[in-house]
Amino acid sequence: MTPDHLVALLCPPLHNPRRRRGGNMAPEKSATVPQFLRGAELVKQGAEARVYRTQFLGRPTIVKERFSKRYRHVALDEKLTRRRTVQEVRSILRCRRAGIPAPAVYFVDYTSHCIFLEEILRSSTVRDHIASTQQSASCTVQELDRDQDRELVQEQELEQLAQQVGQILAKMHDEDVIHGDLTTSNMLLRRSPEDRGSDLVLIDFGLSYISALPEDKGVDLYVLEKAFLSTHPHTEALFQKLLKSYSASSKKSSAVLKKLDEVRLRGRKRSMVG
Amino acid sequence: MNLTQELELFPDHTVTQMLFKEVKNAAELRQSAVDGRINGALINPTMLVNPFQVLVAANKAVHLQLIGKMKTRSLNSEIIFNLSPTNNISEAFKRFGTSDGDESVMLVVVHCKNESQLLEDIAAQVDGRQVPVEDVSWLSDLAKIRKLFKVAPQEETCGTLLDAVVCRMAIKDVM
Ligand SMILES: Nc1ncnc2c1ncn2[C@@H]1O[C@H](COP(=O)(O)OP(=O)(O)OP(=O)(O)O)[C@@H](O)[C@H]1O
Ligand SMILES: [Mg+2]
Repeated sequence: MTPDHLVALLCPPLHNPRRRRGGNMAPEKSATVPQFLRGAELVKQGAEARVYRTQFLGRPTIVKERFSKRYRHVALDEKLTRRRTVQEVRSILRCRRAGIPAPAVYFVDYTSHCIFLEEILRSSTVRDHIASTQQSASCTVQELDRDQDRELVQEQELEQLAQQVGQILAKMHDEDVIHGDLTTSNMLLRRSPEDRGSDLVLIDFGLSYISALPEDKGVDLYVLEKAFLSTHPHTEALFQKLLKSYSASSKKSSAVLKKLDEVRLRGRKRSMVG
Repeated sequence: MNLTQELELFPDHTVTQMLFKEVKNAAELRQSAVDGRINGALINPTMLVNPFQVLVAANKAVHLQLIGKMKTRSLNSEIIFNLSPTNNISEAFKRFGTSDGDESVMLVVVHCKNESQLLEDIAAQVDGRQVPVEDVSWLSDLAKIRKLFKVAPQEETCGTLLDAVVCRMAIKDVM
């Protein structure tokens, strides 16, 4: 049994707020949400958060539950976890305001550090999408012309996706949102209902912050570049397409890309030193 | 005609919404709610895009009540407060609560399962014509809602007005 389950067992939900022991103690840590989540479907168990799929107020909902890292100081930990939760929902709203798709927020429980988000239906992560496209392309390499055509189509499709990613990140950076954890797992590709194209939805803003500095945006792209190239082999050209589209869409891209170059260089020097 | 939804997080709390048009006794109803003779929240339906908004407000109100962190004095007033995008209590009441001359009223009751008698008794106090809760979308004053919640057209390119409203309600405490 996990410690969270124990907490849920030891502290049954309080249905009568007046029954709380000792009147003006710090607010109770509500065990209601963790208890509810035991009946939900676990989608992902991460190092700092668990992600669940469930129904909430009758709607398909994703719940992201941040939990403590045992080795950190309790009070400090509580503060950090809360800050991530707050940063996540603030940046989501900031993006949505600017017309950048991110899941709607339905409810936040700051006592158990849970965020209830709109479930993005008919979606897969960009990571899974690229991986499966690459795989089906390589299967057909030695077959007929028809399959080579298909391979070409898939390549074009991936290039289009890279362009979409470049555009959405340019827009996000123009709003001074630094994502802080850009990977292809933190972007969802949502298919439109009648299978007419698809759009991108950004998720996982727990490490995000607001900054206008080209350096911060450059580092954001550097993190993505590292993650992208190591997750998806042979995609150097594809990533260049992404950067090209970024620079075509962002008003302030040249300073950012200059910083990206500097950061890359620094990274290389560091790895040479060891 | 009622719309009833159990709060999944709080299984012994159920929310029922009832929509009335051609209401003649709004002032009297409001007084009854203030005096505690109506155990429900009286809401101005022109500020609602969708009944989901009310569910989000009610869920948050029950949650805050259980952890002892409500900003207002009762569950019903907390529901009205939660509908508003700002932390100003009197403004929330003015815009989202029923006003004396109102001709339409959304009555919201948080209750235990199978309390149909209670619901009937509360509904009986309204001098008006009950219509399906879904009809609230015909009453919505979209221009006013967009203005109050500061929703620019670009936001509605990536989501609905309902999403925009609900997001602001859910996170107004940290904005
Ligand atoms: N709103 C959503 N709709 C659909 N699927 C989602 C949604 N949010 C998350 N997911 C799925 O859950 C996975 C994990 O979510 P997320 O990236 O937010 O958590 P995480 O990576 O564990 O967080 P952290 O990096 O903060 O530890 C995503 O890659 C995606 O597959
Ligand atoms: Mg992630």
